[in-house]
Amino acid sequence: MAETETYYITKKNWENFLSKKTNDYSIFGPILIEGNLHYEKVSQLNIENIIYDKARPIEPLKIFFFPFKEKILPAIEQFPNLVIIGAANCDLKGLEILDKVFIEGDYKDPNYSKRRENTIVISIDCQNPYSTCFCEPIGTRSYPEKNFDINLTALKDGFILQLGSEKGKKFIEDLKNFSDVSSELIQERKEIREKTEKIVKENNKFNFFNKIEKIKGLYEKEYWKKIKDIANCVQCGSCTSNCPSCVCLLLEDIGDKDYFKKIKVWDSCLYPGYARMASGASPRPSLYERYANRFLCKYWYMFENFGTKGCTGCGRCISGCIGKIDKRKVLEELLK
Amino acid sequence: MKNIYKPIRCVVEEVIEESPTIKTIRVKPEEEFNFLAGQFIEFTVPGVGEAPFTPSSSPFCKEYVDVTVMKTGRVTEKIHQLKPKDIVGIRGPYGKPYPLQDFKGKEILLVGGGVGLAPLRALFLALIETIKDYKRIIFCCGAKTPQDYIYKNLILGEWQGFCDKFPLSFRITVDKKDDKWKYMEGVVTCTLDNLDIDIKNSVSVVCGPPIMMKFTTLKLLEIGYKENQIYLSMERKMYCGVGHCRHCLIGELFVCKDGPVFTYEQIKDKPNIWA
Repeated sequence: MAETETYYITKKNWENFLSKKTNDYSIFGPILIEGNLHYEKVSQLNIENIIYDKARPIEPLKIFFFPFKEKILPAIEQFPNLVIIGAANCDLKGLEILDKVFIEGDYKDPNYSKRRENTIVISIDCQNPYSTCFCEPIGTRSYPEKNFDINLTALKDGFILQLGSEKGKKFIEDLKNFSDVSSELIQERKEIREKTEKIVKENNKFNFFNKIEKIKGLYEKEYWKKIKDIANCVQCGSCTSNCPSCVCLLLEDIGDKDYFKKIKVWDSCLYPGYARMASGASPRPSLYERYANRFLCKYWYMFENFGTKGCTGCGRCISGCIGKIDKRKVLEELLK
Repeated sequence: MKNIYKPIRCVVEEVIEESPTIKTIRVKPEEEFNFLAGQFIEFTVPGVGEAPFTPSSSPFCKEYVDVTVMKTGRVTEKIHQLKPKDIVGIRGPYGKPYPLQDFKGKEILLVGGGVGLAPLRALFLALIETIKDYKRIIFCCGAKTPQDYIYKNLILGEWQGFCDKFPLSFRITVDKKDDKWKYMEGVVTCTLDNLDIDIKNSVSVVCGPPIMMKFTTLKLLEIGYKENQIYLSMERKMYCGVGHCRHCLIGELFVCKDGPVFTYEQIKDKPNIWA
């Protein structure tokens, strides 16, 4: 089985291989810009700058599959062959959720489906989690187990390369100069993973996982008004935009009198107009009701709808919050 | 791959002025289009936008589809400006229809108010088509004033003739009557007083503005209907219609996929259902 195939490759050999692939693929990988990891287009010039041993990039992985704004009618015909390097497990989990929404139900989103087919996802083992990360306590492992085509664990001068799909196997079929993985290297990988897990757990003393069920039914704004920090929410939508699993979208008609043309744009359930109907009435008129909705959606509704929580613990909603609201603190107060 | 957002092109055949604020648009789809009573469609005015409506024509009618639209916002205003031969689009049908299987052998109470009579017209026509399956129908209709009544020539005219042929009766009211009005006066819940109906063997179907649905539901509970005997047509802001965009959620329930028809039992504990 491809899933279990694991190899060792030196950093130099990997970079040589990837360099050749830039001819056939549009490749993106995390590169440090002013101290932050951003997905950047990879060329032969910057291939050595790709970072494999830190954490998730600033942008969520969803931007490659579900961009902020795109034409959806008519659907886009041609997509480039894409390779995305550097997704951590929180983002892979986000992709799993997006798959459930956009392709696994009765109705398939045409652009998303094609982008998914045309893209190879090369994930990494997160080795330097941020203080805002809370993957483990919310039930997401700190390292990839599935949902990748290839996973790379960065070691000192090379990688443990694990195949996760036929697509990944095909991508490296002309890869030479790799070797089998020794049990010592597997042990090294285990230690790397345990270290990351430990850091995340130490940063998060409160165990959300066991208590998250208590959120069920907390519709009333009175529960949420008690949490002082929520008043700092400026309803900017940063948390929803940065979230790897937020899927809310709106459609806008840009056709003309006798032809149909539509674009699909991200929306945010925190915007006051989000659920407002033509009559002017809204089922969630206050900030507290909208704030509650976001949390209920993440930790309850998504589970009812798709069998999975809508939060992967990536922490972007914390690090990107203009109101400096720490979601973990909110959850802790709410569920205590 | 079929694009889920691609509508069927339709030509506007007729625009019927129902009331000062409500019009029925009759369109002819260029491809075969079928739906069941209670399901909804996304109706596009090209270049303007899309909005969800439950068709008001009979699901058995293959020649055209009617949507009855109240002028409320940006898209509905443009719908009201449509003229015969204009091009529009419809996609769907979406959502769950009225569960007619469960209505068999029962006394069916329909309660509609204002533009909420639109989905009930489709349901009523479907029920009439298979009337032998049901014990009888009581159709309670309400509107603000006589001018605000939609389907006047049907409710006050043609359909009255059905009462001689079928086990059917009407209870018709307006909130405020004029000199010529010969039916009841009072909000639609007054049509539920002194109902001669076997509630145990009955289902009620309610559609109308939120405040009307709320008080009708409370009244139905008061006269003995159980929560699972009350069917409500819910409305929410909606874009995709297919369970992707998440705008229409009532609690964890999608109006577009799990509804738009819900029993009161299904939604009674959800937040702000009467918004």
